[in-house]
Amino acid sequence: MTSYMLRRLIGSFIVMWAVATLVFFMLRLVPGDPVAAMLADAGGPDEIAAMKARLGLDRSVFVQYGIWFSNMLQGDLGSSIYGSRIEVARIIAEALPRTLSLSLLAFLIAMVIAIPAGIISATRRNTMTDNTVSLFAFLGLSMPDFWLAIILIIIFAANLQWLPAIGYTPMDEGLWQWFRHLILPAIAIGTAFSAIIARMIRSSLLEVLNSDYMRTARAKGLTPRMLMFGHALPNAMIPVITVIGIAFALLISGAVVVENVFAIKGLGRVLIEGILNRDYPVVQGAVLVVSAIFVFSNLIVDLLYGLIDPRIRLN
Amino acid sequence: MKRSDAHILKRMRALWDDAHDFDPKDPMFGLTAAEMSGPALSRRATLRLLAAGGALTAAHLMPGGMTGAAQAEGKSGGTLNCGWAGVAEIQTLDPAQIGQVLQFQITSNVLSGLMHIDNNLVPRGDLAEDWVVSDDGLTYTFKLRQGLTFHNGDPFNADDVIYTYERSSNPDISIHSKVLANVASLEKIGDYEVRFTLKNPQASFLTKTLERASGRAMTIVSRGAIEKMGAAQYGLTPVGTGPFKVTEHVLGQGVTLEKFADYYDPERPKLDRIIIRPIDGVEPIAAALEAGDIQYIGGNPIAPQLIDRFKANPDLVVDIKPGPGFQSVWLNPWREPMKVTDFNRPMDEMLKDKGFMVRLALAKALDRDTYIKQAHFGYAVPGYGSINPAMAFYYDQEIGEKSQQAFDPDGARALLAEAGFPDGKGFPELEMIVTPGSKRNGLVLANIYKKVLGITIKVVPKEFSVGIQDFNNMEFDMRLGGSGGDYDPDDGLVDWMMTTSKFNGRTRDKAKYPFGYFSNDLVDSLTDEESVTADLEKRKMLVQEANQITSDKVTCGFLYHPVDVLVHSKVVNVPAANRIPGLADLDRVTLN
Repeated sequence: MTSYMLRRLIGSFIVMWAVATLVFFMLRLVPGDPVAAMLADAGGPDEIAAMKARLGLDRSVFVQYGIWFSNMLQGDLGSSIYGSRIEVARIIAEALPRTLSLSLLAFLIAMVIAIPAGIISATRRNTMTDNTVSLFAFLGLSMPDFWLAIILIIIFAANLQWLPAIGYTPMDEGLWQWFRHLILPAIAIGTAFSAIIARMIRSSLLEVLNSDYMRTARAKGLTPRMLMFGHALPNAMIPVITVIGIAFALLISGAVVVENVFAIKGLGRVLIEGILNRDYPVVQGAVLVVSAIFVFSNLIVDLLYGLIDPRIRLN
Repeated sequence: MKRSDAHILKRMRALWDDAHDFDPKDPMFGLTAAEMSGPALSRRATLRLLAAGGALTAAHLMPGGMTGAAQAEGKSGGTLNCGWAGVAEIQTLDPAQIGQVLQFQITSNVLSGLMHIDNNLVPRGDLAEDWVVSDDGLTYTFKLRQGLTFHNGDPFNADDVIYTYERSSNPDISIHSKVLANVASLEKIGDYEVRFTLKNPQASFLTKTLERASGRAMTIVSRGAIEKMGAAQYGLTPVGTGPFKVTEHVLGQGVTLEKFADYYDPERPKLDRIIIRPIDGVEPIAAALEAGDIQYIGGNPIAPQLIDRFKANPDLVVDIKPGPGFQSVWLNPWREPMKVTDFNRPMDEMLKDKGFMVRLALAKALDRDTYIKQAHFGYAVPGYGSINPAMAFYYDQEIGEKSQQAFDPDGARALLAEAGFPDGKGFPELEMIVTPGSKRNGLVLANIYKKVLGITIKVVPKEFSVGIQDFNNMEFDMRLGGSGGDYDPDDGLVDWMMTTSKFNGRTRDKAKYPFGYFSNDLVDSLTDEESVTADLEKRKMLVQEANQITSDKVTCGFLYHPVDVLVHSKVVNVPAANRIPGLADLDRVTLN
């Protein structure tokens, strides 16, 4: 187990390094000059050249990479090249709690909807209940999250005025304030996510429920509750957890559209704006964090396999 | 004794005549130093400045007409929640680094300058209590307000002006160093007195260089705060002498301002606190205002499609004024079929040049009314030059009729036919660079060109950082873009229309392209002259002449001037004194 963990950790760092390196060179290959954009209404070619020299952007791309990599190894992700040159670590540290809060709440909402919906749908296959759940699942999947977000704002913020339309309040300013600012965006994101998981649970459960060991369990006289929660669900969850792991990581970086609608600056928006502005250090730092989230959520999923199914050995 | 209407009219007539009775060559407008001294200008001085700026109206002459505007209704105190449109994060508030209207709208509430323009775009003393301009227009001596402190308690004096000047002159620190290029020296005369000596007279010195908001170069910063907190943190929580102090700035979440109790005017500010939240996207900011999360919109211009919706809402106030800026269709003179390599030839000679015929046809085909209706929902003013209607005095009301660019579909088609493209046949497909946000506007333009000239324009959205690079390198056919925050003619003429303008193909291959998008010797000399002319009437004449040439010779297809739209909840009182186009000064704002 320890050697497995060690191997996976080393592998994870290699993946992160490869992603960050790829992004470093790709970003410099695409057109767009951050300094020209920054000095849009000030300065001429001399000022542009001077600023490039100051930012180290006049050096060869390999030298720039060497400097960035060496600084990164020392824990220095650099500073944004725009505005007051805020440290990238600070930009990420301020955005990450917003994204994690939103993603976790969206994840919880999705699970609360998806697990019962998936179970009901599978155990009452081809009934009106199953069809209704399926219909809602397809609706959830088909609705663009930004559209649902706007509808939720119009109903709950603009018309009923129960919840705020925009913004984020940190948890240390009160749990209720934190919750009421996040509930609408979390529903907007979690709905589509719940639909995917519910469909996954349904198909996985149907497969398990028709297996031989379930027939044996039923023959032993187990109650339907024991059958479902003792045998069927744990076995059905293995493929579901794989999807949950990937989907959760996607939530972290992919909530950008909904974050935009609710004016919450999370990690996704940091990344997108960094790319649009060619703010190289910010993009590098954000990519590093996003790839770390992907890699480690997959690692956690792999570790969970062993817990859910003792037959799976992690060595 | 009750005065008769005739008496009031007579009095108004006398005030009007007096206000306009100054020697145009006199940079002091016939006023004595005493009349120009602060903290408040005399009524006579104010009327003369308004007259000189072309902004004097009958309303100003009515008894009490100058005071009502400055008074806010409602009571002091309370928190104003603001949404800053079209931005996800206020990256910096350090005046040395800010380049966007949405940033200097905030700093104008936090930091001070020596001067600040009022709602008529007339410069007023801010930290300057008094100032004297020498007869040759080369030295400006300022007496500073005494007894002021920065938000951190440090005293304000002449050393802070010197420090700001040195910091802003350093191109390693400030992006506005060029704004101070005409300053030969700045001397400390006393603890509360400084003197600027200019290399050449500069008519825009007070409104462009020393203005606290749009100028930025001489927006006074606190040396103590910068040294203590470092430049990066100062960019987030700048310390100044303005009416509000920054108490919190969380990136992507917003800025909190609180009343500065020791502001030099004890009557201001009225509000206790302002919370500014950056909100990107059209629908989110509308929903936030309608839901009551915010009560005031600042930042980037409000999306025109929202204006009618806001106007229909009885809980909101929508106030529209001319905006300071222009937008154009830029045409690359180095590319066929609109190639023109010499803009100095007389007009009749240029009209024989096929490339110029095409350029003029493209400009004449701009159905500005349709464009404004379809792309801006009717909220903009047709544009024919870089001088905008907000510059009232300098703006030529008749340029729409006089310009060669006036909409003339038959004339445009005839020119195109003469250039070898009858009904647009054989005309190559040109690409027009737009930003992703203005793609719709580009499509409206492409449709107009198709309809009027029968030609196809391919709209190519590019991120700003990419599009600006193509523009600077002269690697484009057409580009939709322009300028904002233009309060002085130099913002249009010097920055955009001269051969040496900073936007005129500044990173082009100079061996290949001797100039960027335009070069005309007469425009250059007229602009050189107007920018150092203190005689306002003469300056106006020079500005309008240069503007007319840039329009007639098609520097670009001038398209429109934006309007300045202020939207806020009815619970917010915005007095006229705080209604400065392009700015969001909140020091006199109250809540009902």
